[in-house]
Amino acid sequence: MSASRSALRPYVCSSCRHGVLAPRRRFSSKPAQNPEIYDVVCVGGGPAGLGLLAALRASPVTSKLKVALVESQDLDKARSWDLPTHEFSNRVSSLTPSSVAFLRRIGALELLDTDRVQDYQQMQVWDGETGSKISFDWAEETSPFEDPRTVATMTENANLVRALLSRIEASGDENLKIFSKTTVSSIENGSDHPDGPDLSAWPVLTVAPSEASPASTSEPPVRIAARLLVGADGINSPVRSFADIATEGWDYNRHGVVATLALSDSEAPTFPAGMRTAFQRFLPALGGPIALLPLPNNHATLVWSTTPEHAAYLKSLPPNAFISMVNAAFRLSMTDLKYMMKMKRVGEEEEVNQHDAELTWRLQHTPQPNHIPPMVTGVQERSVASFPLRFRHASTYISPRVALIGDAAHVIHPLAGQGLNLGLGDVASLSNTIEYAVTHGMDVGDLLSLERYSTERWGANAKVGGVCDLLHKLYNVPGQGPVAWGRSLGLNVIDRLPFVKGFLMRQAEGGA
Amino acid sequence: MSVLARQIAPSARLLTPVTTAPACLLPRHFSVLNRPQPNYPGHIPLTFIERGALAVGSAVGSLINPRRGDLIATLGEATATPYFIYRLRDAMLSDATGRRILRDRPRITSSTMPLPYLRSLPENSVGRTYAAWLDREGVSPDTRSQVQYIDNEECAYVMQRYRECHDFYHAVTGLPIFVEGELALKAFEFLNTLIPMTGLSLFAMVRLKPAERERFFSLHLPWAVRSGLASKELINVYWEEVLEKNVDELRRELNIEAPPDLREIRRMIRRQQKEEKQRMGQQTA
Repeated sequence: MSASRSALRPYVCSSCRHGVLAPRRRFSSKPAQNPEIYDVVCVGGGPAGLGLLAALRASPVTSKLKVALVESQDLDKARSWDLPTHEFSNRVSSLTPSSVAFLRRIGALELLDTDRVQDYQQMQVWDGETGSKISFDWAEETSPFEDPRTVATMTENANLVRALLSRIEASGDENLKIFSKTTVSSIENGSDHPDGPDLSAWPVLTVAPSEASPASTSEPPVRIAARLLVGADGINSPVRSFADIATEGWDYNRHGVVATLALSDSEAPTFPAGMRTAFQRFLPALGGPIALLPLPNNHATLVWSTTPEHAAYLKSLPPNAFISMVNAAFRLSMTDLKYMMKMKRVGEEEEVNQHDAELTWRLQHTPQPNHIPPMVTGVQERSVASFPLRFRHASTYISPRVALIGDAAHVIHPLAGQGLNLGLGDVASLSNTIEYAVTHGMDVGDLLSLERYSTERWGANAKVGGVCDLLHKLYNVPGQGPVAWGRSLGLNVIDRLPFVKGFLMRQAEGGA
Repeated sequence: MSVLARQIAPSARLLTPVTTAPACLLPRHFSVLNRPQPNYPGHIPLTFIERGALAVGSAVGSLINPRRGDLIATLGEATATPYFIYRLRDAMLSDATGRRILRDRPRITSSTMPLPYLRSLPENSVGRTYAAWLDREGVSPDTRSQVQYIDNEECAYVMQRYRECHDFYHAVTGLPIFVEGELALKAFEFLNTLIPMTGLSLFAMVRLKPAERERFFSLHLPWAVRSGLASKELINVYWEEVLEKNVDELRRELNIEAPPDLREIRRMIRRQQKEEKQRMGQQTA
């Protein structure tokens, strides 16, 4: 342990030794003067925040650090999250092989409910305007006798969060404090305590139970000081505002429509057996791509990036019409889709027939490529939702005693499914950085220690975010103009050059 | 090329038996010797060179003899792809009525449009105007030939529909079928439908007399540009459903002005010339 930490030991212990009773005692005797000191305080209990905690607890070097997590939502709910096998949450992420390797390393992978996780070995991407396509698989690099290599792994975020929580719990509750249903009411610099440590350059958080929780009246606010404060608190990160880190970016004026879908059994058996494919079709006239990513039991999750108007229209459709629209979006021309997006919703009955009738009729006159997904046959109740798409990138990820990870540091367009992977990449890098600092006797909150994390991640994330932004812009030019011609040529060329494609796939795989 | 042009251009109808291509052969590259199966009854698949030869041949032929409607139709089909006919189909697919037409695929013939019924419609209705125009020009809806050179069957229908509706455009605008009126309508159609043949037809201007040409440039071309650009896509009019509508109301809906009546102008000029001649005769007498 670092020298500074051992010097502070008396103060740490005085408050931590008494566990849960400590806050109340302190409140009654000396009113909130000495905040409790933690080595790492993580604000935000999403996949990134929990991942960091799990990673720190998993490494023998960092497992004894005193860590705390503050999360406004009820983590008990996340812990006991359970759905019937044929139902899936609509918040699903694709994990690249390097994210999976990281989860395996910290021991969270085996805690995932594997019946709810789906690998896919192939990805078909094509341009709805020109029909040019590219397919991603590892067939070039593996021999025909091996099992096909996984391109990415689909998992529900809730499943991942639950696995990470159990991983953290399995590491014991020594030196660990989880503030569930708790919000950060303020972050400020501490003060120089005459009889204690000089915390004037340390972030001190005041956390109080969330207003929604019934316990809000009984439990008083708690003050905690952080040697390293980690912001994993999402796009409107309070930690980022405290650190006064500027963030750049823009809103795409697009929404991502998500849903859990049931697929028809495909007539043709896949070869090799059990091979699953992800599909993505760019719809330049509608504002973005539609993607269908496989889930177990012939289910799939939908991510359809489109304009807010179209998203509102899709959400307002009854299930049958919604299914027809999704099937149409993978099959029909831009002209048909634009028309169908404006079709009036007269009455429930009439309207259902309308969308399906249009689809059936147009399918007779639209030649189909052979790489389209199976027909969608059902949509899970209440699974259709949408979220705004944005681009944000913090100007730096670190500041003295502060580090940002996940969405607090960067938010990107979801067209490549890289958001969560970048977050987990941050976690892997930051936990390594902390480990390095601890083994070398450095202060984990020191800017010099954190520099390593920032160097590793800022450029990598900027690159992936920039490529996604470029693709978004390229595939938002409607019509058959020179841009459409150029992007189709590029796509076809890359599809035919195995070396270039392999390079790009390795970049995407290691992008996290 | 010259052989092909000689074979194909003079009479496109001679080519019809070619559709019985050998189907038993293994899939081979599309060439003159290996023609694929037709995509719809009456379809004749053409190679790029054949299509080009057909376009040039029919263009020259129809310029020499503007009464050859079959050559004009062939020119329309040979130059409609790529892009133009797809654009027109997409224009139909973007409109509710256009979609309904594509779905129903109505045909305009003397049996689907019985003339006695049209004549019985009220004065100034679209149907009555159409019938009156047919009577005045002495033509029948049955004179339209089948589309054969457009590969996509849906686009072939769009071409067929355009061709069959052409007489309705004549009726609504009141333009006659002699070269001058036809040219004015073709200019209007080119700006409205963007079918290249209608634009190419304007080369027939070289056949106009200087006085007619001057009238065309000062009177009808400005009208065609104004109306063609301002009006809605005419292909999306379901003519079978608007037969009983008032023709002025329809013009207003489509945003077309009525062009100057060519026959009236001609009659007036002829009368003036006659009067002039009489006066000259009187003076000399």
